[in-house]
Amino acid sequence: MPPTDTTNPDWYHRVVDCQWACPAHTDVPQYIRLIGQGRYADAYLLNRETNVFPGVLGRTCDRPCEPACRRSRVDGTAVAICRLKRVAADLRGELAGRLPRAPERRNGKRVACVGAGPASLSVASDLLPLGYEVVIHERHPLPGGLMRTSIPAFRLPEAVLDEEIRFILDMGAEVRYGSPVASLRRLLAEGYDAVFIGSGAPRGKDLDLPGRAEGGRIHIGLDWLQSVAFGHVTGIGERVLVIGVGNTAMDCCRTARRLGGTDVKVVARRPRAFFKASDWELEDAEEEGIDILTELAPRRFVVEGGRLLGVEFDRLAWDEGARASTVMGSELLPCDDVILAVGQEAAFPWIERDLGVELGRWDLPVVDRTTLQSTLPGVFFGGDAAFGPLNIIWAVEHGHQAAISIDNHCRGVGVDERPAPRVGLRSMDMGLAQWSYHNEYNPSKRQRMEHVAMVRRFAALSVEVELGFAPEQSAREVGRCLNCDIQTVLVPELCIECDACIDVCPVRCLTITAGADEPELRGRLSAPTLHPDEPLFVSTPLPQTGRVMVKDEDLCVHCGLCAERCPTAAWRMERLELSLPRAGGVWSPDPGSAGAGTDPAAHAAAPLPGVAQR
Amino acid sequence: MTATPWAEEAAATRAPQVNELALRIATVNGTGSSSANNLLMRAIFRMGIPVSGKNIFPSNIQGLPTWYEIRVSGAGHTARARNPDLLVAMNTQTRERDVAAVRPGGCVLWDSTSPLERAGERGDVTLLGIPIARMCAEEFHNPRERILLQNVVYAGAVTALLGIDPAVTATLIDERYRRRPRLGEANRRAFRIGEEYARQHFPCPLPCHVEPMQATGGSIIVDGNTATALGCIYAGATVAAWYPITPSTSVMDAFTAFARRSRRDPMTGLSTCMIVQAEDELASIGTVIGAGWAGARAFTATSGPGLSLMQALLGLAYYTEIPAVVFDVQRAGPSTGMPTRTQQADLLAAAHASHGDTAHILLFPGDPAECFDFAVRAFDLAEHFQTPVLVLSDTDIGMNDWVVPRLRWDDTYAPDRGRVLGAAEVEAAGEYHRYADADADGVAARTLPGVSPAAAYYTRGSGHNRLAGYTEDPDEYREVVDRLARKHAAAGGWVPEPVIEARPGASVGLVTLGSGGPAVREAVEMLRAQGVAADCMRLRGYPFPEAVFRFLEGHAFCFVVEQNRDAQLRTLLLESGAGSERLGSVLLYGGEPITAGEVSDAVLVQLRRREE
Amino acid sequence: MPSIAKPPIRHPALPVNELGLAERDYEGAMSTLCAGCGHDAVTAAIVRALWEVAVPPHMVVKLSGIGCSAKTTAYFLRGAHGFNGVHGRMAPLATGVGAANSDLLLIGISGDGDSLSIGIGHLVHLIRRNLRMIYVIENNGVYGLTKGQLSASADVGSTSSKGTPGVIQPVDPMLLGLSLGATFLARGFSGDKAQLVPILKAATAHRGLALIDVISPCVSFNDHEGSTKSYRFTREHDVQVTTTDFVEPRPELLTAIGPVGITDLTLHDGTRVRARALPEGYDPGDRDAVGAYLREAHDRGEVATGILYVDPSRPTLHELLRVVPRPLAGLPYADLCPGAAELERFGES
Repeated sequence: MPPTDTTNPDWYHRVVDCQWACPAHTDVPQYIRLIGQGRYADAYLLNRETNVFPGVLGRTCDRPCEPACRRSRVDGTAVAICRLKRVAADLRGELAGRLPRAPERRNGKRVACVGAGPASLSVASDLLPLGYEVVIHERHPLPGGLMRTSIPAFRLPEAVLDEEIRFILDMGAEVRYGSPVASLRRLLAEGYDAVFIGSGAPRGKDLDLPGRAEGGRIHIGLDWLQSVAFGHVTGIGERVLVIGVGNTAMDCCRTARRLGGTDVKVVARRPRAFFKASDWELEDAEEEGIDILTELAPRRFVVEGGRLLGVEFDRLAWDEGARASTVMGSELLPCDDVILAVGQEAAFPWIERDLGVELGRWDLPVVDRTTLQSTLPGVFFGGDAAFGPLNIIWAVEHGHQAAISIDNHCRGVGVDERPAPRVGLRSMDMGLAQWSYHNEYNPSKRQRMEHVAMVRRFAALSVEVELGFAPEQSAREVGRCLNCDIQTVLVPELCIECDACIDVCPVRCLTITAGADEPELRGRLSAPTLHPDEPLFVSTPLPQTGRVMVKDEDLCVHCGLCAERCPTAAWRMERLELSLPRAGGVWSPDPGSAGAGTDPAAHAAAPLPGVAQR
Repeated sequence: MTATPWAEEAAATRAPQVNELALRIATVNGTGSSSANNLLMRAIFRMGIPVSGKNIFPSNIQGLPTWYEIRVSGAGHTARARNPDLLVAMNTQTRERDVAAVRPGGCVLWDSTSPLERAGERGDVTLLGIPIARMCAEEFHNPRERILLQNVVYAGAVTALLGIDPAVTATLIDERYRRRPRLGEANRRAFRIGEEYARQHFPCPLPCHVEPMQATGGSIIVDGNTATALGCIYAGATVAAWYPITPSTSVMDAFTAFARRSRRDPMTGLSTCMIVQAEDELASIGTVIGAGWAGARAFTATSGPGLSLMQALLGLAYYTEIPAVVFDVQRAGPSTGMPTRTQQADLLAAAHASHGDTAHILLFPGDPAECFDFAVRAFDLAEHFQTPVLVLSDTDIGMNDWVVPRLRWDDTYAPDRGRVLGAAEVEAAGEYHRYADADADGVAARTLPGVSPAAAYYTRGSGHNRLAGYTEDPDEYREVVDRLARKHAAAGGWVPEPVIEARPGASVGLVTLGSGGPAVREAVEMLRAQGVAADCMRLRGYPFPEAVFRFLEGHAFCFVVEQNRDAQLRTLLLESGAGSERLGSVLLYGGEPITAGEVSDAVLVQLRRREE
Repeated sequence: MPSIAKPPIRHPALPVNELGLAERDYEGAMSTLCAGCGHDAVTAAIVRALWEVAVPPHMVVKLSGIGCSAKTTAYFLRGAHGFNGVHGRMAPLATGVGAANSDLLLIGISGDGDSLSIGIGHLVHLIRRNLRMIYVIENNGVYGLTKGQLSASADVGSTSSKGTPGVIQPVDPMLLGLSLGATFLARGFSGDKAQLVPILKAATAHRGLALIDVISPCVSFNDHEGSTKSYRFTREHDVQVTTTDFVEPRPELLTAIGPVGITDLTLHDGTRVRARALPEGYDPGDRDAVGAYLREAHDRGEVATGILYVDPSRPTLHELLRVVPRPLAGLPYADLCPGAAELERFGES
C-alpha cells in the first residue's frame, strides 16, 4: 500500500465525517467547541457562513452529519449536532452589526431568482454583499418556500424563519410576492445578467388507483400542508390515513393530529428498516399516538356516493432486502380522510421548450452538478428544482455553488474556473501534554430533547414541540464531540518506533508493521477493521526498521494521547482549517472570532521545537 | 572476690538447706555435658521441687568455658542464684574463678585425676575430689565415650551428694536411651560409678540437699523458644521464614519439628505450612510480609542483628499496614556483641524499627508459658491492627529450661483475623478503598488477593492517601500517618496488662520486663527483709496500658530494672509520658541472667544515696 | 506526565477474550513514566499476553521493588492486587505471597538496579527456589529515577548520558540464571511485542520461575549514540535465537524437550507454547550449549533474544518443600490447630 498523500485536501477533510457529510461542509466541531465556550454568537455566525439558516436547520435539518458522526461508532449514538446548532441560534442574542451588508455601490449586475425558497435565498445571501441586484419572484405572499409551506409551525416557529430570511432580504433584495413566473422567456426578456431557478419541487405525487376519481376527502400531502400553512385548511376528520412514510408523511400525520384527527395512521409499503423518514421523526410521531402500519400497499379507495369510507390494501410479504414482495391478502382500513405523501416532483410548465433550457428525464432540467448551470448559459438551477427533492441543506449548498457560477458568469469568467478549497493545519500544542482543546473523553450519553407535554402540545398548531437543550444538557452534549477536526499528523522521520502511541491508544487504531498491500495490512491491524471502506493512513517507511505506521482513521477518537506520549513529537495534534470557495473568493474561518483556538492562549503558544507550522 | 553484704549475710546463716540451693557445673563446651546437666534438673523437678536451669555458654562450638546452673528453690524463686552451694568444677581453665564464686561453706566437686593446683586458696569451702577421668578411662574404651561419660559420672555423684532420688534418675536414663540400649547401658554404668564413689567417700547427702516436695504438679519444664514455636502452631501460622541466628534458631527448629508432627494434610501427607530458610533476614521478613499481605499467618524469629537488617521492610509493613509477627530473642549487643549471652537491649530498636515515624506493637513475655500465650496473641494483634508485632524475649527465656504451669489451650479460641472483607462484602459495597473506612481504633478493612476483582487495591510504601493512591499532598499524607499514630495508641488497650504485685503502703516500685521478673520478685522479698517495702510491676506490652502509668504515679519512686546499658525501657516510658523525676534505673547488662541480689543491692545503694 | 486519563471507551471494534473481557480490562492506571519509555511497551505486552491467555485479573498479583520499573505494576491489571515494596526486595515479598496462596499467578516487575544490584542476592535465591512466578527485568542499563547513573547491566564501553563509559563487567541475568539452575530464561525487547507477547504467554504456562530479561530503553537517559541499550542499538544487534508460537490444543501432553530446537510447554487448557530455535543447532534444553552461545553472542555484540533456556522438569518450591498445593492462607483454622488434647500431651510432669 503506498504512503498516504495527506497533502490531498480531501484526506484530512474526510476524517471530519460530519463536515464531510454535510452538503454545505459546515465546520461542526468548531462551532460545537464555540458553544462549549459560551460563544453562541460566534457559533451562530460560523454556522451561517455555510448553512445560512442555523435557526431553521437547527430544528428541521435532515442532518446527514449525524449518521456520519464518529461518536456513534464509539457509543452507538451521534452527537446531537443539529440540536446544538439550535442552541447557538437560541442563545446568540443580538448580532449587532456582525451580519454581512451590501456595499453602498452596486456592481450594476442584475440577477433574477425564481422562488423565495432556501436555494434562491442562499444565492441572494452570497451575491448581495458583492453588490449584485437580486430580484426574487415568489408566487406566495410570503418568502421561505418549502421551509414555510411544508414544515408545520409546531416544528419551526414562524418568527425564527422570518428573522433568518430577513437577515438576507435586509441587504436589499427585491422580492416580488404573489407573482408566479408564468414564462421564462418573458423573464429572460427583462434583461437580467443571470437567472437562478430555485422554485422547488412543489408538486406532490398522486396515486392513480381505483376510486381516486370518485371524489371524497383525498388530499395531496404537500398541497394540504401548504393550505394549512396559509390558513386555508383548519380541520380534518377524526380518522386519518396517511399513505407514505417519508418526512412529509410525518409532518402530515402530526399536523392531522393537531387539526382534529384522533385516530391517525401512517401506512407504509415496506418494512420499517426501509423507511425514508428519519428515525427521530418517526419517534416523534409515535410519541404523539400515531400508528405506523407496515407492509401494506394501497389497492383502491373505497368511495360510496362521493363519500370516502376507507382504503383497501394488499398485505405484502417482502424478501430479505425488501426488493420483491408477494401479496398475502388484503385489509380494509376505514377512514374519513386520506393524505397522500408518496413523493413530490418538480414541474416546469412555464419553461418554454425552445429557449435552450433542456429538460430531461422526469421533466427535470439538464444541470451541471458542479456549476449548476443549465444548458442555457446564464440560467442556473438549484434546490429541489435542480435534481428533484433533496432537503434544505442541499438547497443552501446549491445556492452557494450557483452564486459562484453566477458571479463568474457575470464577470465573464468561465463557470468552471472555480476557486479550490484550501486546507490548513494549525498546531494545538500548548506545551508538555497540554492542548488548546479539551481532549477528555466525556462518557455522557446523548442528551434527550425535552418535549412539550401532550396536553399542551395539541392546543395550537404553532406550539413548538421541542423545547431545546437546557444549559447543562448543552454542555454535556458539547463534551461528547470527539473533535475530529483535530487531526493526528505524523512526521515519520522522527519516529523511533518505541510503541508508546500504539500502547496508549484507547481504541488501538495504530499499528506498526511491515509494509504490505491493503488486505494484508488490514489483517495485521491492532484492532480488526469494522468499516473496510474507511481508508487507512499509511506512513512512509520509518527510519529504524523500515516498517510503516498504519492508522485506522475509522477508530480514532482524537484524544491526543498518541501525541502526548510521543517522545519525539513525531505525532502532533493539528486542527484542520478548511477554507471553502465562495462567490467572490474563498471564505476562511476567522481565527479571531470563530477560529482554531478554543483558548486565546493557544494563539500565543509557541510550537514545540522542530514542529513546523503547516 | 569481693563479698557483697548479702553474700556475707548468707554465709553467716548456716541454716539447714533443704530445697534451697544452687548448683553450678563448669565444663568445656563440646564435651556433651548438657544431657547430664539436664538429667539432674529434671530429676529434681520430678521430685516435686521448684527448679530452674540456666545455660551460660560461649558463642563457640568446642573448647570454651560453659556453665550450667541449677537453682533449687522450695520457695519458688527461679532467678539465677549468685553464689553456688555446690560447684562441679570440670573446667580447669576457669576453676580458680569458679571456686572463688562458691558460697562460703559450700562444696566443690572436682576431678581429682590431675592434681588440684589453684583451688586451695579458699579455706571456707569443702573440696570433694573424684578421679572421674581415670575411672572413665578404666571403664570405657572408646575415647569419645570416655569424655562424654565423665559428665554422667559427675551427675551420679551429684545425685548422691544432693540426695536426689536414684529411682527418678534411673527412670530418666531409661526414657532417654530407650531406643539406644547400648548407650543406655554405658550411661547407667557411668552414673553408678559416680554415685557409688560419692556414697563411699563423702557424707551423703550434704547439708544442702533436696527432699521430695509436691510443688511441681501441673508444671512442665520448657524453654521459651520451644514454647514460642508451639504457640505459632496453635495460632495457625502457615508460613515461616527465617535465617539462622543465635539465640533464636531453636524457635524454627522446634516449629519444624512440631509442624512435621501436626501439620500434615491427612489426604496427601503434604505439609500445611511452608517453612522457608531464607538467604538473609531481609528475605525472612520480606517473605513474612508478603505472606501476611496475602492472608497467611506468617512469622519469623531472629535476634538483634537480624532485626537491624529487617528495618526497611518493617517500616514498609507499618506504613502499608500488613500483619507480621517477629520473635526477637534478644542477645547482648551492640553489633555482633555476645551472641549467646542475654540482654534486653533491642527495646528501642524494636519499638521504632525503621526510619521515619514508625512505631510498633511490642510484647514482652516473662517466661516460656507467656512465650506460648503471646505468640498466639501476637498473631491476633498483628491481624487485628494490620501491623507488625514484635515479641521480645531473650536468651535467658528462649534457651533456658524454665518450670512453668502446664500449657493450656481453649478449644473455643477463634483467631482474630481483623477486618478482612470477602468477595460478597466488597461487591455489595460496590466500591473499595484500602484505607478509607477506618474504625474507632484507626483500623481500615483490608482485602486479600485472589478474592474478587472489586477487591483489588495497590499497596505502596510510597506516600499514599486514604484511597491507597499515590500522593505527595501534605494533608493527604498527614491524614494517613496521623491515623497510624491513633491506631498505635489504641493498641495500648489490647496488649497484655502488666503483672503488678502490690502491697498497701509501699512507696518504692520496681519495674521490669521479660526475664527480669523472677529476680525482681525475689528482690522485693530481700528488700522487705531490709525494711524496704517495695511493689513490683512486670511490663508485658507496648504501647503501655494505662495501668502502667497508674502504678508509676502511685509510688514515690520507681526503679526500672532492665538488662541494657542505656535504660531503654525507662526511655520508652518517658517517651510515653512517664515523669522522669521519679523514675530511676537498675541496669544489669553483663550478659548473664540477673540475680535478685544484684537488684536489691542496687536499689538499696540508690535509696541510701537518695536519703543522703 | 499525562494530562488526561486514558478514555474509558469500550469501542465496539475491540474483541473480548473467553472471559468476556476486553484487552482494556487488563489495563491499569495511566503511566507516569517518560513518554516513549520502553517500560510502557512492556506493560502493554503484559496486558496483551494476560488478556490473550484469559487469566482472571483478580487471580494475579503484581509485585515490584523500587525504581521506574516498579511503578509499572500500577499500569496494568487494575483488577489485581499490587504490591510495590522496597528497593531490591520484591523476590522475598513474592516468596511470601506465593507461599500463602499458590493459586495466584505472580508477576514481578523489576529493573536492572533492583534485580542486579541491591536485590541480586534475593534474585539468586528465588531462582534456586524455583517459585512459580513470572519475573520480568526491565533492563535499561541505567538508574532512571536518580537520573542516569550506569547500572550493573551496563556493558563495558556503553556510555552514560553524560558520556562516561562503563568500565566494570556487567551482570547478565540470563547467564546468572543459567548457572543457578533457572528453569525458564527468556530475553525480549520492548520494541518487539510480536516476540515478547508469546514469551510472556509461555511464561504463564511455566510451572516454576520464568525469568524474562527485557531490553527496555530509557528514552530520557539511555537512548543516545554510544548506549548499548538504545532502541537503535538493540534493533541493529537483536538476534532472535528462538521464535515462540502457540500451538492448538492436541490430545497428547508434551512437556519435555522435544526434537532438538523445539521446546513445548503445555498450558492448563492443553494449549501448547512452542519455542523454535533459529540458529542451526541451538538447543534451548542444553544448558551448557546455551551458556556458551550466550557468552559468544555477547562477545560478538549481539543481543540474543527469544526463549533461551527451558527446563520444565525441575520441581517448584512447593514441590520441593512438600507443601499442599492449596492456598495456605485459605486453610480453615480448625485444620491447623492441634487442639487442647494434643497440648495436654506436651511436656513431662
